Amino acid sequence: MKQTRLEKAITILNARQIKPATPSHIGDIDPRALLLVTIVFLVSMLSVPLQRTDVIIWFAVYPIISSPLAHIAYERLFRNSLFVVPLLLFIGIFNPFYDRTTAFTIFGIAVSTGWISFISIIIRGLLATQALLLLIRVAGFNEICEAMHRLGCPAIVATQLLMVYRYLTLLLQEALTMQRARMARSYGKNSFRAKMWGQFVGQLLLRTIDRSRRINMAMKARGFNGSLSISSPSHWNTADTVYCLVWIPVFFLLRFVDIPMLLLTLIH
Amino acid sequence: MSDALVSPAMAVGAGVAAAALIAVATSKVKQIRRDDIIPLMGVMGAFVFAAQMINFSIPGTGSSGHVIGGVLLSAILGPWAAFITLCSVLIIQCLVFADGGLLALGCNILNMAATSCLIAYPFIYRPIAGKSLKPWRITLASIVASVVALEIGATGVTIETELSGITALPTSTFLAFMLPIHLAIGAIEGIATAAVLCFIAKYRPETLFGETKLSGGNTVEKQARGKKVLIGFAIAALIFAGAFTWIASSNPDGLEWSIEKVSGISDFPSATPPTAFMPDYDSRFAGIVGAVIVMVMLWAITTILFHRLHASRQTSSKERK
Repeated sequence: MKQTRLEKAITILNARQIKPATPSHIGDIDPRALLLVTIVFLVSMLSVPLQRTDVIIWFAVYPIISSPLAHIAYERLFRNSLFVVPLLLFIGIFNPFYDRTTAFTIFGIAVSTGWISFISIIIRGLLATQALLLLIRVAGFNEICEAMHRLGCPAIVATQLLMVYRYLTLLLQEALTMQRARMARSYGKNSFRAKMWGQFVGQLLLRTIDRSRRINMAMKARGFNGSLSISSPSHWNTADTVYCLVWIPVFFLLRFVDIPMLLLTLIH
Repeated sequence: MSDALVSPAMAVGAGVAAAALIAVATSKVKQIRRDDIIPLMGVMGAFVFAAQMINFSIPGTGSSGHVIGGVLLSAILGPWAAFITLCSVLIIQCLVFADGGLLALGCNILNMAATSCLIAYPFIYRPIAGKSLKPWRITLASIVASVVALEIGATGVTIETELSGITALPTSTFLAFMLPIHLAIGAIEGIATAAVLCFIAKYRPETLFGETKLSGGNTVEKQARGKKVLIGFAIAALIFAGAFTWIASSNPDGLEWSIEKVSGISDFPSATPPTAFMPDYDSRFAGIVGAVIVMVMLWAITTILFHRLHASRQTSSKERK
């Protein structure tokens, strides 16, 4: 039976809340190091001019090498990143029509710069999504929140993130129960009319607010002072420094040295 | 917005503006003398997330839609608390579901959270809905506010994509394409928001922001000086972010641009080393093909290598057992 959006969301949330239990080669890297490397990767990759598709492709070196290190098959990571393609198609598809300057001819067919930039947009999107998926799967959401807090994110935002995440599964489960009860009586219709949807979601909202009051009382009874404490903060080790010192220069090298041209020169 | 659609300069500009707004919102929320605001924000964030997952049918189209929730959250939590809550939803969508991007987060916060919570709610929803709980006023206010929020957000996406130099579409064509679509999405969002708010107004009116002593809005301390400083800071950050982005985007190569300004020379030799054996277009194609081949090879090698490593580890651990 096909999973509903709610069921899919619950599965993903449960899977990504904490670090994976199975140890991987980069599983013990400090989340701050992972976050830093991801940001440097994104900045260097996205700053490559759109016309340099040949340079952008080289950035795939990061997910291709890191995913097996994290015990994730790259093809799985690639497949999971494909969901972003429709949005990229929506924005990028106009480039071939508006930018018709010939970039090169191959087998007598002129390829325009519009097509080159279109392919670049797709590759950039896929690589950026893969880097983000890798970060989440290696570090887990709780650790990323901790890293964000330790890197200067206001406590109220970090607390809010953890709170939302903790109650998401609970509320999604409640919404799923309500949706299933409704679907069982709807003869195969999955969506609601707007008015009925309002009543349905309104009910969920009222239950939510009541729940928040109960949570508040329970939290106050346990001495809640406005911010959640983050358990067992990780320590920066030599391995974290090495991880950064390996990847960041690679990204700079890919960004600032024209590798495709260098290789062509070497070959010839 | 996805990371692929923004340039780093644009991302930094929008990120600075979003961070400034979060700083202002944080200080505003701290002033709210309501001890249950933090858990309420937490569960409301989770609620919006859950509500986004429940589709409703759009009559006559055969398709379905879902709510984004900015105006809805603001009507219950007030604009600043709603802003932080929606930011947290966007961050979770980005970090957990990889929906949106890490660099594009600033743009997404401005386009979706700031427009609905800080513009559409205080300037459109509140004046239209007023203190009345009449369904027609709530419906009108929700629809107009949602449409305005979505249209400003769509304009933001257009400007950000254009400034990033991603699309070849002229700005006017891009806008002509984006605005009608978001008009329809905004109207649907407005109807859905109104449906929930009318239900709440009927059965639990005290839950709505500004209606009773339960709401944070009436208990916020007015700190005129601090407020002015924060607003000034936010405006300065926005101007800085806008100017920075504009300069960075209109002059992609800052070094070349500044040399040109100083020396008056605009014709620089290409940074790419010349290749006498091959014309430029051929080398570019060869570069793409070469890069693809190398990446496929790398993929194959790493897969085989790590698969073997993993298998040997498993065998040795079994032997130990």
